[in-house]
Amino acid sequence: MTASVAETPMAAPPSRSRAIGVALGSLLLLVLPALATDRYLETATRGLIASLFALAFNLLWRHCRLLSFGHAAYFGAGMFATIHAMRAAEAGSLDLPLPLMPLMGLLAGAVLGLVCGALATIRTGTYFAMITLAISELVHSFGPQFGSLFGGESGLSAMRMPWAGFAFGDARQVYVLVLAWALAGAAALWLFGMTPLGRTAFAVGENETRLRFLGMRTHAVKTATFCASAAASGLAGALLAVANENVDYSIFGGGASAAPVMHTFIGGAGTFLGPVLGAVLLTGFGSIVGQATRLWLLYQGIFFVLVVMLAPGGLAGLVAAGLRRSADGQAAKALRATALVLAGALLVTCAVVFAGETLSEVLSDAYSAARATTGMRFPPVERLGLAYSPLSLPLWAAAAAAFLGGVLLLRRAMRP
Amino acid sequence: MRLGRRSLLSSLPVLAAPGTCRAAAQTNEPLRIATIETLSGPGSGVNRLYSIGTRQGVAMLNAAGGFNGRPIEFREYDAQGTTSVAAERFRAAAADGIHIFVHGGSSAIAGQLIEDLRRHNMRNPARRMIFLNTGAEALELTGEKCNAFHFRLTTNAEIRVRALVAAMRAQGALGSRVVSINQNYSWGRDMEGAITAAAAAGGYEVVERILHDTNRIQDFSPFAARIAAARPSAVITGNWGNDLALLLRAVSAAGLRISFGTCFLDLPGSLSAAGDAAVGYYQAEVFNPIAFGAEGETMMEEYRARAGTFPSTSEVKAVLSMQFLGKALASLPPGTGPDTTRIAAALVAAQLRLPIGEMAIRAEDRQLIQPLVVSHVVKGSRYPIDGTDMGFEPVGVVPGPEAVNPVQASCRLERPA
Repeated sequence: MTASVAETPMAAPPSRSRAIGVALGSLLLLVLPALATDRYLETATRGLIASLFALAFNLLWRHCRLLSFGHAAYFGAGMFATIHAMRAAEAGSLDLPLPLMPLMGLLAGAVLGLVCGALATIRTGTYFAMITLAISELVHSFGPQFGSLFGGESGLSAMRMPWAGFAFGDARQVYVLVLAWALAGAAALWLFGMTPLGRTAFAVGENETRLRFLGMRTHAVKTATFCASAAASGLAGALLAVANENVDYSIFGGGASAAPVMHTFIGGAGTFLGPVLGAVLLTGFGSIVGQATRLWLLYQGIFFVLVVMLAPGGLAGLVAAGLRRSADGQAAKALRATALVLAGALLVTCAVVFAGETLSEVLSDAYSAARATTGMRFPPVERLGLAYSPLSLPLWAAAAAAFLGGVLLLRRAMRP
Repeated sequence: MRLGRRSLLSSLPVLAAPGTCRAAAQTNEPLRIATIETLSGPGSGVNRLYSIGTRQGVAMLNAAGGFNGRPIEFREYDAQGTTSVAAERFRAAAADGIHIFVHGGSSAIAGQLIEDLRRHNMRNPARRMIFLNTGAEALELTGEKCNAFHFRLTTNAEIRVRALVAAMRAQGALGSRVVSINQNYSWGRDMEGAITAAAAAGGYEVVERILHDTNRIQDFSPFAARIAAARPSAVITGNWGNDLALLLRAVSAAGLRISFGTCFLDLPGSLSAAGDAAVGYYQAEVFNPIAFGAEGETMMEEYRARAGTFPSTSEVKAVLSMQFLGKALASLPPGTGPDTTRIAAALVAAQLRLPIGEMAIRAEDRQLIQPLVVSHVVKGSRYPIDGTDMGFEPVGVVPGPEAVNPVQASCRLERPA
């Protein structure tokens, strides 16, 4: 029986390639401030925070198989606690240096997580998910009511106070602070899985009834895991508070709770670093593509559907499968599958982007303005650096061909 | 681990270096204006109107010669409906060298942006930014959060209520018993406070105060019953969107014929949802194409020629804001670069003449003083809106100094050095 416990949650790549991946990733994170402009550092900071939040969420799912739909409550608690502490520091009534401020968020997340976790983990499965959702909705509904605690819709503001010669006024210093805490948080979550408590939590996810039969107090184990997950979420929230210097109660809303779920399942819930992959990809996507086109939500949705349909193990699952294959001496086969996936994805992306952008341009206010000023029924569309007729038959035929070809390639690549 | 530590150390000098500092306001630099607005996702339908209007307003300024002999550059940033993304976009705008940013869609996002502005201007005195607020009406923006570089080029709760009360009273539509019904968040509470404060001047008594959940209520009939039980002569509400449409329908279904004073009946979706129930109801707003006379007609037609459709009120407000900015820019001596401190000073001194009166900034809190048109809904209007045959017919103009609220005691402006 131990074999199945070891196998199922650990759909991880071989340890050597994982070590190389982690080392390369850390190196990139460390040299980023020297390479990137402020704008991309901002995005990287967001990506780090989203990653830590997704890791915290996945702690519960990966270990205990508990799916929380209300983690925004703990994230938000961390944000508010930190902002209140920063405001106190700004007013001079609290003497806590800025680099230690995130501890307040950690603490707030842990306390709230302990209380709510003890309550929610009495149930499992759908009922657990509903209780977490209800708790976060409850917290959300408090938002507009307690002005001094939540600050109404415009929320509360604070300012990062200088410490030890660092003004924390520019993006680099904030990035380094967030990076340090995010790495520490991720390491702590990784180590949690190594502790006896973490191993027991895995077992709870496998077969809770059996554990209870063996005399384990599974409710306590689940509560402790929930508390750890909420504490890490609170820490992530605290980091966002430090980066934004502002928080309002909309952070308790459904969108904030949905983000770690999306990140985790796109990235891959089965591996430890899968959620990080999803969080980094989607944060970068929202920040860079979201600035280039208004259709980014549509593209993100299509992407989510495709990943869930074609790669239930998430992107990390795909990568891990490829790495395992090449470790098994099927490197050529794995390489071929990768090339097929990339080519197929590229073709589908081109077709979808062409169709989406052309249609959105034709339906846009600027286009109706152009229609009014030029007097043409279908004036040329200027998009993607080109000017073309929106009715051009060859372009649409090419897009349709690219889409069909791409789907065929993807299906071929997914065939075992 | 050793590798990691070394690269961390090597990057330290870079970390400690101050942020890349652009030379302040080079005179040949173009003026860069951006909107930070919700352009995608929920709320974008109404909020992007401010961005569309600002784009047209900047295009008009450019058609008139731009600024400093160069066209003004315009960009859009998508706040995606959340304050958190708005904060991120603010920093992107600062990094892109934006001088003036414009926001009108939401008081919550404006509350975030004004704080970002405060911190940015404190940390970067050499490249301060200006915030032109075209539509966020929360009182705190010119109250405890007021800022010398934030200009509220729109109304607020008190201004709307004062104008409504003055015009409705002159029409004999106010009476002596008024019900206040509002959404339970800062805007609605601001409105309730304003309705209470205007009681003495309006000669009425507030017989019922209702605050209800925002955008959650599906059935307003219990509220219609409470209104009926108070036997009011008029109702004043700051509700918008669904909360306004559903309230008006419930009141109509209950057979109540009471005059209503509203603030957002002209937003897309409200009139079409409320239907005939809205006929005769009052609205206070800066722009009305009929009240603006021939100039209003030219504005509407010119906008249609540029944008393909008649503008919504939000778009006109954004265009007027840009024209006001244009006046300020024109008052600067030629050769002045995009120096935001000087532009801010010029904005305080600027005046824009409208067919119904003057627009000017009050120096004490950067609130715009402007005349308001009070209108009521009629069928068969010359400018029907929202796919209905209804539109707004002016009943009176309230001059700016009469409509504007007193400076809030909580506003302490830090004057630029």
